[in-house]
Amino acid sequence: MSDTIISLRGVSVSFDGETVLDNLNLDIEDGTFVTLLGPSGCGKTTTLRIIGGFVRQDEGDVFFAGENINNVPPHKRKLNTVFQRYALFPHLNVYENIAFGMRIQKKPESEIKAKVTELLGLVSLEGFEKRSVNTLSGGQQQRVAIARALANDPKVLLLDEPLGALDLKLRKEMQVELKRIQHSLGITFLYVTHDQEEALSMSDVIVVMNHGIVQQIGSPLDIYNEPVNGFVADFIGESNIVDGIMYADCDVEFCGARMVCVDTGFAPMEEVDVVVRPEDVIVVPAEEGFFTGTVLSSTFKGVHYEMIVDVPGQDEDWMIQSTVTQEVGATIGMKVDPENIHIMKKYTGDYASDIDYTENVVE
Amino acid sequence: MNKKSSVLAAPFALWILIFTVVPLALVVYFAFWGDNGFTLDFIKSIGEGEYAKSLGTSIWLGAIATVICLLLGYPVAYIISRAKGISQRTMVMLIMLPQWMNFLLRTYALMSLLENNGLINTWLRDIGLDPINIINTRAAVVLGMVYDFLPFMVLPIYSVMTKIDHRVTEAAQDLGANGFVVFRRVILPLSVPGIISGITMVFVPAVSSFIISRLLGGGKEMLIGDVIEMLFIQVEGGRNVGAALSLVLMVLMLICMTLMNHFDDSEDSGGMIA
Ligand SMILES: Nc1ncnc2c1ncn2[C@@H]1O[C@H](COP(=O)(O)OP(=O)(O)OP(=O)(O)O)[C@@H](O)[C@H]1O
Ligand SMILES: [Mg+2]
Repeated sequence: MSDTIISLRGVSVSFDGETVLDNLNLDIEDGTFVTLLGPSGCGKTTTLRIIGGFVRQDEGDVFFAGENINNVPPHKRKLNTVFQRYALFPHLNVYENIAFGMRIQKKPESEIKAKVTELLGLVSLEGFEKRSVNTLSGGQQQRVAIARALANDPKVLLLDEPLGALDLKLRKEMQVELKRIQHSLGITFLYVTHDQEEALSMSDVIVVMNHGIVQQIGSPLDIYNEPVNGFVADFIGESNIVDGIMYADCDVEFCGARMVCVDTGFAPMEEVDVVVRPEDVIVVPAEEGFFTGTVLSSTFKGVHYEMIVDVPGQDEDWMIQSTVTQEVGATIGMKVDPENIHIMKKYTGDYASDIDYTENVVE
Repeated sequence: MNKKSSVLAAPFALWILIFTVVPLALVVYFAFWGDNGFTLDFIKSIGEGEYAKSLGTSIWLGAIATVICLLLGYPVAYIISRAKGISQRTMVMLIMLPQWMNFLLRTYALMSLLENNGLINTWLRDIGLDPINIINTRAAVVLGMVYDFLPFMVLPIYSVMTKIDHRVTEAAQDLGANGFVVFRRVILPLSVPGIISGITMVFVPAVSSFIISRLLGGGKEMLIGDVIEMLFIQVEGGRNVGAALSLVLMVLMLICMTLMNHFDDSEDSGGMIA
């Protein structure tokens, strides 16, 4: 069954005259794990806050289970939020933090106790009832925040970069944990992150955003394999993006070489972006390559070597990942299989400046 | 403590020695040493008649003034903390402004407002209402205390409230709390430290205040601060009893503050937000 639980229709908002969300349309299926992915400042938190009711959109409508909730205040919306940096109640202990929502609903103490115990089990914090939340580690506070948000049995859980403050190892563990929780409860998760790996490994659906505009909506595989533009391709993984010309369907020229590809539907001689992933470049002897380059560096990265290659006539160096290293200074030939050449409409933004400031956060 | 920091601390240590330790030592000395050496007579004399009564009156009026300050000051602090940028700063300014005027002048100003032929009664007569006889009553004394010490209630509460993380109040809303519940379950408990320090900062000076009761209460009833002042300045050989009274007052205030802080700790078991 696929019911739409949350729907945004033509939502726009601006702060101080600056457009933060621009005509956002989004449908979220009940029971799915949907991730909003995009660089810092692209409007992810704002989108969640609109759904949570903390920001009122300038234009457009928000629907919850088919009902327009534009005018419903936050405390009456049947969804709960795990806030960026948790926002636990500092004056309450773990038990009372989790019980907060149920106390407002005046549930009987026995029911509250049972629920808190159950939730503490779910987030693996048994025995922490009496602890002050100020003495918990980041990961533990995180779990309390999740348990607290789940205590009201929401149909939708909004999570705003819940793992942002955790170290890599803990983040990986919590990713698995969150996925498990979502599965066992069967509720909808709307998850915000700027970590593409996190998005790819956890989501049913990824919504890639940039500058308040949805770039692409699709499954992780779709997004990874068929990015609709250079921004998505570059954001979702390190890619080589070069200028190219489509001579005709399945006939492209880039790096001074004509190649066969699988893309169609472009105008003859249209200028395009050509995207090739580092792992898709095949290294061959210089005379056998479609084009050639000089190896500038080679670094071992654990499972493969990462080489930076200068291709004559190209502004940007190419990045190649291979299990076999090449000598620095050597001239190598490069080939790409037709299905690994991704042709995209020209993206007019500047990829590097769009994503650079997220890189230090992503490990 | 390392050498460098003890060198740096020296001026402060000297300051504390001269202005805190020495006066305190003198008070203790005068309270226990009379012309014939050590004695408990001065302390004992406090239990008798007039002194105990004016101590009781002082505590009673100080407590009433503190409660009124809290009831008035808390909403004011809340409103100020909710205001935006410039209007917030303006309101804080307005609260602080009277404090820049000497306390004595402020009390005189209030006196001239409250007098039987003062400004307020003149206006009341002008618009055809009965004048109120408030000057020279306990009510006037309490009013004077409230007027003089209200900012000390507002400012600490305000400063604690501005530190309450707005995401915490949003989290409460998110969990189903309407405006009133957010206030009762989040804002009020988180502002307890401010309330505690507000109460301490009003109660202590109110109880030990002098001049106020003389100017506004008509001198009919002496508060403990006036008694101590009188003993030191006007009564020959009164400084021993004066010192004893000061000491007792100080100890009472210390006990009261300790109790308050203890209450603070147990109430605020989660600790304050940074
Ligand atoms: N209340 C506000 N007033 C003014 N500007 C705001 C407000 N909230 C958000 N913005 C601006 O809107 C833009 C988008 O902010 P948002 O918090 O949605 O970004 P984000 O995608 O969540 O980023 P991050 O990954 O850094 O959390 C930013 O430029 C931000 O400065
Ligand atoms: Mg954000």
